Amino acid sequence: MNLPYSWLQELLPDAPPLQETVDLLASIGLGVEQVFTRPAAPAGVVVARITEVAAIEGSDHLLRATVDDGEQTHTVVTGAPNTRVGLLTAFARPGTTLPGAGFTVEVRDMMGVPSEGVLCSPKELDLYDYAGGLIAFSEDTPLGRELCELWPEETVIELELTPNRADAFSVLGVARDLAAKLGVDYKHPAHGLDQGDTGTEDNLRVVIDDPEGCPRFTLRLIEEVSVAPSPIWLQRRLASLGLRPRNNIVDVTNYVTFELGQPSHAYDRADLVDNTIVVRRANEGETLVALNEAALEFSSADLLITTPSSEDTSGDGTVPIGVAGVIGGLHHSVKADTTAVALEVAHFEPVTIRKTAKRLGLSTDAHYRFERGVDPNLPPAASARAAHLIAELGGGRLHPGLTDVGRAKTPETIDFRPSRVAFLVDIDVPAEQQRRYLEALGCRVEVVGDDHWQVTAPTWRFDLGIEEDLVEEVARLHGYDHIPTTLPAMHFVPEGDDATHRKLRDLLVGLGFQETINYVFTSDDELAKTAAPEAQVKLLNPQSAERSVLRTALYPSLLGVARVNRSAERLALFEVGRVFVEEEQERLGLLMNGLWAGGGWLEAREVDFFVFKGIVERFAATLGAEVRLEPATHPMLHPGVNATLFWQDEAIGMIGQIHPEIAAAYELPPTFVAELDLPLAPGPIGFREIQRQPYAERDLAIVAPRDVPYARIADMITEAAGGYLVWLEPFDLYEGAQIAAGQRSVAVRLRFRHPERALRDAEVDADMQQIVTALAAAGYDIRD
Amino acid sequence: MHEKMRDEALEEIAAAASLPELQEVRVKYLGKKGLITQQLKGLGALSPDERKTVGQQINAVKTEVSEAVEKRRAALEREALNRKLEQERVDVTLPGTELPVGGLHLLTLVTNRLTDVFRSLGYDVVSGPELEDEYHNFDALNTPDWHPARDLQDTFWTTDGRLLRTHTSPMQVRYMEAHTPPFKIVVPGKVFRNEAVDVTHEAMFHQLEALVVGERITMGDLKGAIDEMATALFGPGTKTRLQPSYFPFVEPGAEFAIWWRNPRSGEEEWLELGGCGMVHPNVFKAVGYEGVTGFAFGFGIERLALVPYGIPDIRYFFGGDLRVLEQFRGAL
Repeated sequence: MNLPYSWLQELLPDAPPLQETVDLLASIGLGVEQVFTRPAAPAGVVVARITEVAAIEGSDHLLRATVDDGEQTHTVVTGAPNTRVGLLTAFARPGTTLPGAGFTVEVRDMMGVPSEGVLCSPKELDLYDYAGGLIAFSEDTPLGRELCELWPEETVIELELTPNRADAFSVLGVARDLAAKLGVDYKHPAHGLDQGDTGTEDNLRVVIDDPEGCPRFTLRLIEEVSVAPSPIWLQRRLASLGLRPRNNIVDVTNYVTFELGQPSHAYDRADLVDNTIVVRRANEGETLVALNEAALEFSSADLLITTPSSEDTSGDGTVPIGVAGVIGGLHHSVKADTTAVALEVAHFEPVTIRKTAKRLGLSTDAHYRFERGVDPNLPPAASARAAHLIAELGGGRLHPGLTDVGRAKTPETIDFRPSRVAFLVDIDVPAEQQRRYLEALGCRVEVVGDDHWQVTAPTWRFDLGIEEDLVEEVARLHGYDHIPTTLPAMHFVPEGDDATHRKLRDLLVGLGFQETINYVFTSDDELAKTAAPEAQVKLLNPQSAERSVLRTALYPSLLGVARVNRSAERLALFEVGRVFVEEEQERLGLLMNGLWAGGGWLEAREVDFFVFKGIVERFAATLGAEVRLEPATHPMLHPGVNATLFWQDEAIGMIGQIHPEIAAAYELPPTFVAELDLPLAPGPIGFREIQRQPYAERDLAIVAPRDVPYARIADMITEAAGGYLVWLEPFDLYEGAQIAAGQRSVAVRLRFRHPERALRDAEVDADMQQIVTALAAAGYDIRD
Repeated sequence: MHEKMRDEALEEIAAAASLPELQEVRVKYLGKKGLITQQLKGLGALSPDERKTVGQQINAVKTEVSEAVEKRRAALEREALNRKLEQERVDVTLPGTELPVGGLHLLTLVTNRLTDVFRSLGYDVVSGPELEDEYHNFDALNTPDWHPARDLQDTFWTTDGRLLRTHTSPMQVRYMEAHTPPFKIVVPGKVFRNEAVDVTHEAMFHQLEALVVGERITMGDLKGAIDEMATALFGPGTKTRLQPSYFPFVEPGAEFAIWWRNPRSGEEEWLELGGCGMVHPNVFKAVGYEGVTGFAFGFGIERLALVPYGIPDIRYFFGGDLRVLEQFRGAL
C-alpha cells in the first residue's frame, strides 16, 4: 500500500522525520518495501481555461482551441475528446519539456493552424496514468498559476503489509499504530462529524436478506450534487496512491477507502428503484456489467447489492446493481448528470467477499480490504467522513438522515496473563507497561485476578483473538530488539540419519560426477520422447505445457543437461531428486558420455558400458555393497545394452546405454545412464580372519552360445565347484574362426583355497571335474 | 713382478668402460684361471719360507685388485643407473591423463554448510515429501481455505487435489505427528511457487526449516538459534535482527535478518533472510501436543547462494550449464 508521507503527517502531527518513520514502521511489523518520490508537475505548465473551440477544416478529430492562461490567449491544436469550452486544464508553453511525453513543446503548424503550446493529459505531465483526455481541474483552481506550485512532489512510503494487519491498510491505521508505538495522539478524520440521524426519514430503504454476509449497511443521501473534477489536492493524493482521479464523488469514495480503510460506493439515487436496496445472495447465472466493463456471471454464494425491478425473472423482484464489497455496476454508478447520490458504507463478511472475488477473478481495493477484515463498526463514521467531503467538494447538500441497518459488533474478550510475555518471549515488561501498550492500541483492559486480565480488542483488530496475539502486541510495541539470545535447554539425541544423502553425493563427486539439480516439472511430450513412464501427477495450473506434469524419472532431466552441454568433451552427471510414480520416490540418476580417460596427446578411452558399469561397481564397493546386473528390456535403453541393477540382491533400478534414437533426438553421442531408488542399503560390515593358505589356480575355457550371459556360466561354475572355489574371473573372450559360428569362448581363471591347509592337487582336480561335468551337462564345450 | 701385474690390473680396471669389460678384467686376474689365481696356485712350488713371503705379497695384490674391481663396478653401475634415469626423464609440464572432475551443486554446498551448523548444535536433519496434501501444507498450519495468507504463496495444485508444497513447513506437522517432544530438527528441501519466473524468482527453490519444541522454549531461544547460525555462517560478531511479521503458523511472528558485510560490495547491510516465530497453538492442537512451546524458522537457501557469490540470475541454478555449475568445486 502506498502511503504519502505528507498525508501521514496530517493524521500524525508528531510523526518523526522520514527515515526514522520508515525504521519505526518496520520495527512494529509494518514492512516498508521502498520509499519513492512522485514528481511535481513539470515547470512551464500553467492552469488555463479553454474559451473557444472550433473544428479544423480537413481534420476529423483535431480541434482549434483558444486558451486563456490568465494573462493572454493562445491558439492550441488538440485532439483530446474532452476538449470543451470552460474546461480548466493544463497548458504547456513552448520550451516546456513534458516528462510523460518525452518531448519539448514548441510552436508548430498543424493542419495550417499555428499551435502555440500543448494542452496536456495527465500522462504527458507524468502525474498519473491516463492518456485518454486532458487533465481536468476543479473550478476553484487559480487560473494562470504554475501547476508545479499546486502539484509539488510527494514522498511515498510503499508498505508491504502482511494479511493479518488489515487494520493498517489505511493512512488512519498506520497513524494509529505508529501513535501507539510513539505514545502520542493521532487525528481521526471522522471524529466530531455529524453521522446523520437514523430517526430522520430520508425515504431510502435497505433490506438485508443475508445478515451473516452483510452485518451492517448504511446509506446517506446527498442532494443537489454537481459532478465535477476534484480539487488538485485530492487528485494529487489519489495519484500518489496510484489511482486515477475521476470526479468529485468517486474520488471521495476512493479517498476514504485509503484514508480510513473503509470502502464505500456512491449510487445515483435515480437508479435505485423505489429508493430501495436489497442485499441478497445471487441466483445462479444472474449477470451484471461491472464498472470495469467486465460481464460478470454469479453463483449462488455471491452476495449482491440489488434494486427492485419488474424485469427480474428470478423471483426476487430485484436486479443486481453491484457486487457486495467487490465492485459496483457500470450502469448504476455516478454519471456526469447525477444530482443526488446515495452513499453506501457497509460491512461484509470476509470469506464471502474473498470467495466471490477469487471466483470472478477480480482484485479491487474494496475486496482487498473486506477479505482481510474492515472494522465492522466503522461504517457510520466513515459514511460521515465521505458524505461531508462530497458535500464540500460537490457543492451538494447533506441529508440529515441516515439509513443504518444492522448492528454494531461487540468484540469478545480475551483472557490474558501478563506473565505469559516473559514465558514466551523472554522479555521483562512490567504489567503496568503492558497495560499501557494494550490500551494505546485501543484495547480495553480489565484486571479480573492475579495475573489474569480480560482484554477487549478494538473492532479494527481482526487479528487479535487469543492470548498469544496479545503477547505479540506487547512484544511488538516494546520492541523485538529486547529479545535476549538464549539456547534451549533440552535433552535430545538426534537419530543422525543422512537424510540429504550427503555421503553418496560426496562419493560421486570423488568419482568425477558433477551434481545437477533439475525441475520436477516436465511434459507428457518429453516423457514420451524419452520412453519414460507416463506421468502420474498432472498440474492443475501449470506455468506452461513444458512444465505441466511431474517427472517419473530423472534421466530425461539429465539428458536435457547433457544436451545443454553437448559441446563438452566428457560428461559425468548426477542428480539426487524425487520422481513421482505410484509413490513419490527419491532416486539417484547418473549419466556419462564422451571421453572417460585420456585424450589430447595421450591415448583416449571413451566411456563405454564397461567403463560405466565399472564406476557403478566401484561406487557400490565403496559403500560395501554388491551389485549384479541382469539383462533387461527397459524401453529407454539400447536393447542390447540394457540391464536391471540389483543392489544387495534387490532390484533397485536400471543401467545401460540410452537408446540411440533417444540419444539422436538429444544430439548426444553414445550415452550411458543409471537410475537407482534411494536410499541405498549399505553392505554388511564385519571382521573376517585373513586367509593365509595359498590358493591353487586353474584356467578353463568354456564354449557356449554367444547369447548365454557370463553370469549364467559363472553361477553354474560356482554351484558345481564345491566349497573351495574362492575367486572366479573371466580373462578372455573369443568368437571367430576357431570355434563354431554363434558360439563364444569364455576363458575364466579359478582360485581354490582351503581355509586351514594347503589343498592337494587331486582335490582341486576333483572340483574341476565336477565343474566340467556340470558345464557339459548344460551343453557347453570345454576348449583345450 | 707382482707389482707390475698389479699396476697392469689396476690400469685395465680403470680402463674398463662397461660392466662386461670389467668382468673380463676380473676374470683375467681373479678368475679360476686368472693371473693372480695362477700365481697363488704356483706357490706350492716354492719353499715354505718363500711361500710365506710371496703368498703375502700376492694376497695383498689380490685384495687390492678385488677392491678396485668392486669400486669400479659400483662406479659403472651408478653410471648405468644415471643413464637409465636420464632416459626415463619425462616432460612434467605436459598435461596428465584427464579424468572427469566432479563437484557438488552450489545449493548442495550451502545446504551442507547449514546442516553442519545445525548438526553441531544437536539438531536432527530430516526430509519430507515434495508432493503434499492441503492438510499438511495449509490446514494443519493454521491456514484454512478462506485465509488470505494463502494468497502469499501461489500454489501449484495437481489435478487430483494435491499440491506441490509451498514451503518446508508441512514437515513440522509430519514430524510432530510421528515424534514426541522435546526435539530439535531442521528440514532442507525443495519448495514450489506458481510465480512468474525472473532473475530472482523461480517456480522451484529450496528452503531450510527449523523446528524446536520442548517444555519451555522461548523466543529468546529462537533468537539464539538464528544468532548461532549467523555466527557459524558469517563469523563472530555477526548481528541478527527480528522484526514483527506474520505467518499463520506462528504467534508471535517475526522475520529475521543478518547484519553482514556483503563480500561483493564490501558494504555492511541487513540480509533479509526469512520468517520465524513461536509455534501457533493451533498447530500444536492439530498434532495433539499440549503443555509445550516451540519455535520455528525457515528461509530460502538460494538467497544464501545468490547474494554472497554475486550470481545475477536464479535461473542459473537449474539451467544445467556446466560453465556455471563447475565454478563451485573448490567450495567442497
